[in-house]
Amino acid sequence: MPIGDTLGVSVSGLIAAQRALATASHNIANVNTEGYSRQRVALGTNTPQFSGNGYIGSGVQVSGITRIYDAFLIQQVRTNTSANSQLQSYYNMASQVDNLLADSKAGLAPALQEFFNAVQGVANNPASIPSRQVMLSSATALTDRFHYFDRRLSDLNNGINSQLATAVAEINSLAAGIAKLNSSITTAQGANNGQLPNDLLDQRDILIAKLATQVAVTTVTQDDGAVNVFIGSGQSLVLGAQANALSTSTNAFDSSRKEVTITVGSISTTITDNLIGGITGGLLDFRRNVLDSAQNALGRVADGLAATFNAQHGAGQDLNGVLGASFFASGTAQVLARIGSNPNTGTGVVNASITSIGALTTSDYLLQNTGGTYTLTRLSDNTITTLAGFPGTPATVDGVTISLASGAINTGDSFLIRPTRNGAANIGVAISDTKKIAAAAPIRTSATLANIGSGTISSGTVTNAADANLQQSVTITFTSATTYDVTGTGTGNPTGLPYTSGANISYNGWQIQVNGTPAVGDTFTVEPNTNGVADNRNALLLVGLQTQNTLAGGTATYQADYGQLVADVGNKTHQADINRKAQEALLNQIIQTREAVSGVNLDEEAADLIRYQQAYQAAARVIGTTNALFDTLIATLRR
Amino acid sequence: MRISTTQSQQQGINSILNQQAQLNKTQQQLATGQRILTPSDDPAGASRALELTQAVSVNDQYQSNIDAARTRLNLEESTLNNVNSLLQNVRTLAVQANNSTLNNSDRASIALEIRQRLDELLSLANTKDENNDYLFAGYKGQTQPFARTAAGSYIYNGDQGQRFLQIGPTRQVAVDDSGTAVFQLIRNGNGAFTTLDNTANAGNGIIDTGTVVNASAYQAHNFTITFTSSTTFDVVNNTTSTTILTAQPYSSGGSISFNGIQTSIAGAPAGGDSFTVTPSANQDVFTTLKNMAVALETPLNSPAGQAKFNNAMNRSLTDIDQSLNNILATLSGIGARINAIDSQQDVNDAYTLQIRQTLSTVQDLDYASAASQLNAQLLALQAAQQSFIKVQNLSLFNYLT
Repeated sequence: MPIGDTLGVSVSGLIAAQRALATASHNIANVNTEGYSRQRVALGTNTPQFSGNGYIGSGVQVSGITRIYDAFLIQQVRTNTSANSQLQSYYNMASQVDNLLADSKAGLAPALQEFFNAVQGVANNPASIPSRQVMLSSATALTDRFHYFDRRLSDLNNGINSQLATAVAEINSLAAGIAKLNSSITTAQGANNGQLPNDLLDQRDILIAKLATQVAVTTVTQDDGAVNVFIGSGQSLVLGAQANALSTSTNAFDSSRKEVTITVGSISTTITDNLIGGITGGLLDFRRNVLDSAQNALGRVADGLAATFNAQHGAGQDLNGVLGASFFASGTAQVLARIGSNPNTGTGVVNASITSIGALTTSDYLLQNTGGTYTLTRLSDNTITTLAGFPGTPATVDGVTISLASGAINTGDSFLIRPTRNGAANIGVAISDTKKIAAAAPIRTSATLANIGSGTISSGTVTNAADANLQQSVTITFTSATTYDVTGTGTGNPTGLPYTSGANISYNGWQIQVNGTPAVGDTFTVEPNTNGVADNRNALLLVGLQTQNTLAGGTATYQADYGQLVADVGNKTHQADINRKAQEALLNQIIQTREAVSGVNLDEEAADLIRYQQAYQAAARVIGTTNALFDTLIATLRR
Repeated sequence: MRISTTQSQQQGINSILNQQAQLNKTQQQLATGQRILTPSDDPAGASRALELTQAVSVNDQYQSNIDAARTRLNLEESTLNNVNSLLQNVRTLAVQANNSTLNNSDRASIALEIRQRLDELLSLANTKDENNDYLFAGYKGQTQPFARTAAGSYIYNGDQGQRFLQIGPTRQVAVDDSGTAVFQLIRNGNGAFTTLDNTANAGNGIIDTGTVVNASAYQAHNFTITFTSSTTFDVVNNTTSTTILTAQPYSSGGSISFNGIQTSIAGAPAGGDSFTVTPSANQDVFTTLKNMAVALETPLNSPAGQAKFNNAMNRSLTDIDQSLNNILATLSGIGARINAIDSQQDVNDAYTLQIRQTLSTVQDLDYASAASQLNAQLLALQAAQQSFIKVQNLSLFNYLT
């Protein structure tokens, strides 16, 4: 064997050890690099040479430097990252609402309680102006609290708009980076006989992982090494070296709401509803499932309070002796026509009004004209109701009456109806004069002093405050122990009515009972409650509203309806917290698995350093030995 | 399994961060004493706590309503106690005045005293509560209920309304009575009928106020007892215009009975004298007192006049007794209401206690378990930190020279 060959073999060993040491130090240097996959030098023997008596080995060669990598695990990490950051951002947003409702001092419940305590104060001292002032002040405090909550929820909506814009910008920049790396990788792979540019691949994986924190992605690797990235329901974000831009756009109905749009070529498509995963998915999920319903639920409490309180207040009489005016000002149902790039073509203006508080849901509704047939979709569960006779006759669904105010609705036109969205923002105290609080009932009853019999008359209740003759004087005269006449405007002056003790007698929107045994000629009167300033009958009925089940189909008090909102948000946040923790554990586990395969272990690298150092020293030693052999040969020849 | 260096570090840090988060929450729970920090900690509990807190507040409000009710009922009670002793006083005066030994000037001075009592009664009936509302005006709290007209009669300007306060979830209690109920709805006579002498009577017959001895035979009709001579009388039912008794022999103080009514006439009525029996009507206490004063102010100078006076005083005495009965009935009604609010207060207290206990189990922290949890978490955090330091110090590079 020629000595020169031995040198060559040794040098190949030196070079291989050098390469291995360089790789080990590259690994050590990148021990903290995010997404770095450790690299290994693949060694192989050189082609042996035939020397007549057999094949002689001709040393070692570096056949490639590979990264230790498992495509499936990377995919798993990506999917779990998306799910994790979706839950994280959903949880972050939901816990803001949760914390908002948690504050027992600033919550709605204490303000509601204060208000009804003040109403009790008026019931205790109906003529007292200070008591009435307290009621007005605490009503204002209550409506302020509604406004505050609504404002905070609207702030969250605005926050989502700007966070979506940030996320879209981030996605665009990541998509551009991926496209650029695709191009570099394709070039590098083509130029170097299929040797993979490991670090570029790692970088691209990192960018895709970052993209996955913003939005869920699916990837398809091409033969040339490029990776195509898809989002939503298959919209291509990156195709080879080409990235498509996302942008935010205004909602078709509501200009205060941002949507996400992708532009491919010259065609823009809104993909908000298709986006899942990542921060974006979390934000959109929160907006759809927590924020909208929370704002609607709060509005329902406000609308319910205003409507039921006003109805009872209107059945009372204020200090000026007139029937109570509306105590609370309240919001109207929000109706939004489609605008933007594809607006309604008809001139129709749709009006929606709340006609039954008890039947209201917390959902939004979509009214559509589908070729002459009108459908109303309840968006919370996509229940579709066909509105027969609309727009000729108004339609009532879930306590909301929808009518065509003017113009005509063309086929394909649609309207978004949000019955209670404005409730909390628009509730206000409609009266400012303490005298206008209607604590008294509008009627009083009396038995004539000259009555001989033992008959008594009840204090009476108002059954229909809208009756024009409510405050007309009416006299009931007994014509025998078992019959009576009624005289007065609005009664029709009936005569000879049969008398039963305790039976209801109703005229002009009131109802009274006569008890006992009246004598012939005894009279009873129902008359306007003139100067009835110390009467608290209507205030007592207003107080009673606090504990009556007036909302949610007659199943909830104001407090319980609000409590339902608190429990709902609490539940969703709690659920999100549990899911988030589970997802985080899952993500950590999958990252650990990936790290177990691809991560750098310094002890391992230290061992490699020693191993290759020894290999290098050994190869160098072989050169020394060869040199000694050569010296021996030269010395022999010199003699 | 391979462990990557970064990952092992990250895991160590993660577990320390987790322990810190848990520790922080336990610390917050201990600092606030609340088990539920946000609704998401226990959504059902948070919503339940809201309901229970409202129940407690509503109940607290009932308790303060009870205080208001008690104040008002106490005021009414003490006012009516004054009215009661005033009427007792007047009654004593009436009994004294009915004594025939008094002369005209004595009666006049008693009349003067009764007039003063009348003014006092008027001012009691116009009592105001602490909010400056008239107590006995019904709903017309700002209208003075009782007034004397220029003609000397008494009128009521209030109404028959009665104020109720809410003292329990389903319980309302009346906190006043209208002036009508207290001072006006008082039956005169014996409650069923009243006996009256004809002002033109020439004899000195004095009629008893009578009683209903047979309720089923009694009818609320007008009757006249007419003396056809000084020894005989007829009884006529004026309502049906039928003569019931004719030419009955008269004896002084002997009982006269018809239609379930029993009365008697004493003294010596003259032929042509008559007495009427009419169903009782409502007569307010002011009129009762005024009638008495008017009778006392009339000078007496004949036996017939004396009989008229005695008849009037007899009527007044029964009327005052009726008034007293009404005041006492009202007072016992007030006493019953005060008892009712006392027992309602106990019920409310018990309810509040029970709700507060439930509320406490829903939202309050169990300090013992929280404190031991805190200890366990502190220990875990220390263990995590110490083991992290120890493990991170292990490296092969430490031995490379």
